[in-house]
Amino acid sequence: MKKLILKSALYFFMILISLELLVRVFHLGKDTPTRILDDHKVEKWLPNQQGFSVTGNRRQNFSEYHINNSGFNSYREFTPTKDKYEVALVGDSFIEGFHQNYYNSIGKKIETSIPGIEVYEYGYAGYDFADQLHLIYEYKEKFEVIDHVILGIKFSNDLTRGEYKVVTGRLALESPMNRLLKKSKLLVYCKSIGILDPPQRLLYRLKNILNPPAPSKTIDEQEKTRLQKEKEKKYLANFQSLVAKYGYDKNRFTLLLDSRITSDYFLSFLNKEGFRYIDFSSYFEKSKKSTTLIYDRHWNDNGRTLIAKSISDYIKSLDTME
Amino acid sequence: MLFNSLDFFIFLPIVFVTYWLFFKKNLQLQNIFILIASYFFYAMWDWRFLFLIIASTTVDFFTGQLIHSSTSDSLRKRWLWISVIFNIGLLGFFKYYNFFIDSWIDFVNIFGYEMNSSWTLQIILPVGISFYTFQTMSYSLDIYYKRLAPTKDFISFATFVSFFPQLVAGPIERASNLLSQITTKRSFSYSQCKEGLKLIIWGLFKKVVIADAIAPIVDDIFANYTEYSASTLVLGVTLFSFQVYGDFSGYSDIAIGTSKLFGIELMSNFKFPNFSRNVAEYWQRWHVSLSTWFRHYVYIPLGGSRVSKLKSVRNIIIIFLVSGFWHGANWTFVIWGAIHALLYIPVFLMGRNRIYMNTVVAENSWFPSIKEILQILLTFSLITFSRVFFRSESITDALGFLKQIYSNFGFEIYEHPLGYRMIDYFVLLVLFVLYEYQIRRDERSPFKFKSKIVRFVAYTLIILAMLLFFDDNIDRSFIYFQF
Repeated sequence: MKKLILKSALYFFMILISLELLVRVFHLGKDTPTRILDDHKVEKWLPNQQGFSVTGNRRQNFSEYHINNSGFNSYREFTPTKDKYEVALVGDSFIEGFHQNYYNSIGKKIETSIPGIEVYEYGYAGYDFADQLHLIYEYKEKFEVIDHVILGIKFSNDLTRGEYKVVTGRLALESPMNRLLKKSKLLVYCKSIGILDPPQRLLYRLKNILNPPAPSKTIDEQEKTRLQKEKEKKYLANFQSLVAKYGYDKNRFTLLLDSRITSDYFLSFLNKEGFRYIDFSSYFEKSKKSTTLIYDRHWNDNGRTLIAKSISDYIKSLDTME
Repeated sequence: MLFNSLDFFIFLPIVFVTYWLFFKKNLQLQNIFILIASYFFYAMWDWRFLFLIIASTTVDFFTGQLIHSSTSDSLRKRWLWISVIFNIGLLGFFKYYNFFIDSWIDFVNIFGYEMNSSWTLQIILPVGISFYTFQTMSYSLDIYYKRLAPTKDFISFATFVSFFPQLVAGPIERASNLLSQITTKRSFSYSQCKEGLKLIIWGLFKKVVIADAIAPIVDDIFANYTEYSASTLVLGVTLFSFQVYGDFSGYSDIAIGTSKLFGIELMSNFKFPNFSRNVAEYWQRWHVSLSTWFRHYVYIPLGGSRVSKLKSVRNIIIIFLVSGFWHGANWTFVIWGAIHALLYIPVFLMGRNRIYMNTVVAENSWFPSIKEILQILLTFSLITFSRVFFRSESITDALGFLKQIYSNFGFEIYEHPLGYRMIDYFVLLVLFVLYEYQIRRDERSPFKFKSKIVRFVAYTLIILAMLLFFDDNIDRSFIYFQF
């Protein structure tokens, strides 16, 4: 039996090495750029990195990224001046756009649609409204000369806190252990296709057996509505607190949102208080083609084109008004 | 516990190492350990149904002894009937009760009597019941026909009934093969274990890469057949042929491979049926353990082919209908069986049902002849046609599916329901068929290459394919578990 175990282990090890090699040769696993916390305590990517983002098995989505000098994924450098006409897009992974070639981003599509405009994409995976306003606040000098700032916001995700604090969980991804694990493209690939989920679920099951969680209470519809309302109030308070703390120029700032997943309570507040927003829901509803990728809910090329169109239409309407 | 789950990949090494490390010198302890492991394996699905296995085991253990010790034929027959009625009763209640009630209500409704279905029950079908009841019955039948002496060792017999590698989906073993191995001292064999591991890898490939990858396409086409044209429907049922083959033969390979790890050889269940040159050969290669069971315990007792042609044809119809019904409590399976009977009978009447018994396609050459290619394509097409009934939820759906092929005859480019590239699947299937053709002479040695390097490359590519086609979101259970 010793021979069988030893030989199996040897084969296992050699197959792992061969698979690592094959995953690298066919570039099946994604490259992960390094993140940093800069002097302004703003979390972003280490400037000037390049690589390929891969989604799903068999490279269903393969795209190149380019982290510019400012630490964001974009084909251009961010050099705003008073003379030029600039628009900044600030948001999370949807704006960051690792699922597209950096030279075919939402910003690029807007630039194609409106000649002479420069679009700066300040997108970073996980950025919520606190991250966004804190970034603008810290880089005030740059943002003050940008003509329009558009902030992507998802009501259910992005207003969970009323003050900016560094998200240590995300930065923990840069721990020496994680960096070491990321060196194995095979491991990165396996994680991305969900093959490592069953072991994680098993650990969770074992944890639950050893430490049973308290039985979940059944909540009736009335209670659900009350909790939902409570949450909405809290999120709105967070919005107000962030706006008060970091500032919000209603003349230049515009929110980008999907009214289908935004609370009416919040929308009526925005309308009442004169916060401008672009609602891209009608663009998505009209589209006959899918707007998201196969493997995750990020926008595909069609989705990004529609987002770019909604922003372009908005900017054009502003210019007409002005 | 599924063979393609993480639970099994933790369970198997623990059981394997414990078995050979601590119990290799004592057969009784080996069997007790295997029995406990098997019950644990089954209990992971639903422990309540363990009692059914234990009941079936107990009844057949004692009836077997009583059949053997009875001196009069009538008494022997009586004990046999007790075994058969008990096992068929279990099967009838858990698998067919609701079907019979619903069919009766439908029948009565035809004559204008209105009946509601208050008699139907919420019954869970115990996994593997069709397999282990047939296995225990074969034991009693073999004793009755004096082919076998009963065992006096209950543990060995219980291990034979519940041996975990083949408990839930076969191969359906006969006591003369499996029980005799269980009652014989087993010692560790490096080469046997090595062969077992190879079969496990190959079975996993067939399940994870072939069956599971195709499943969403087949599900989509059969669920929305009214929206598709003929080319897509033909594609759907053709892919289903590969899916069900990959699924069930993959399971069987893992079962046979796992058994080898414990020093036990199970019978082959699939012998490359897709290369069959006529329907008779197909049934010598597809789900061999079930067709052998029906041949031994139904066809031959009815007279087999040693009676008049007419009676032989009747016997063929009976076994195919029963075989269809065994697969599931739905008229679609009965129709599926009937189609196979209709396909088999002409082959039988022409005396061509045994001509390919011990040969494979292109026996002495690299490539098949044009005639063989045409025969294979015709057989595959006929079998695939019958699978419309096998896969459809109801006869109405199956007929609707076929009508749609006829009425919406045309070609369209099918797009994967989740947006994946279809070309990947076509390339995969072509490579799979070519590889199976290459290894067609021995279903138990999928990696029979002289060169170690070639073998290593094959393992690596097989595992790479699993990584390329793995999808955590799909239902990974085996199709034959529902039977």
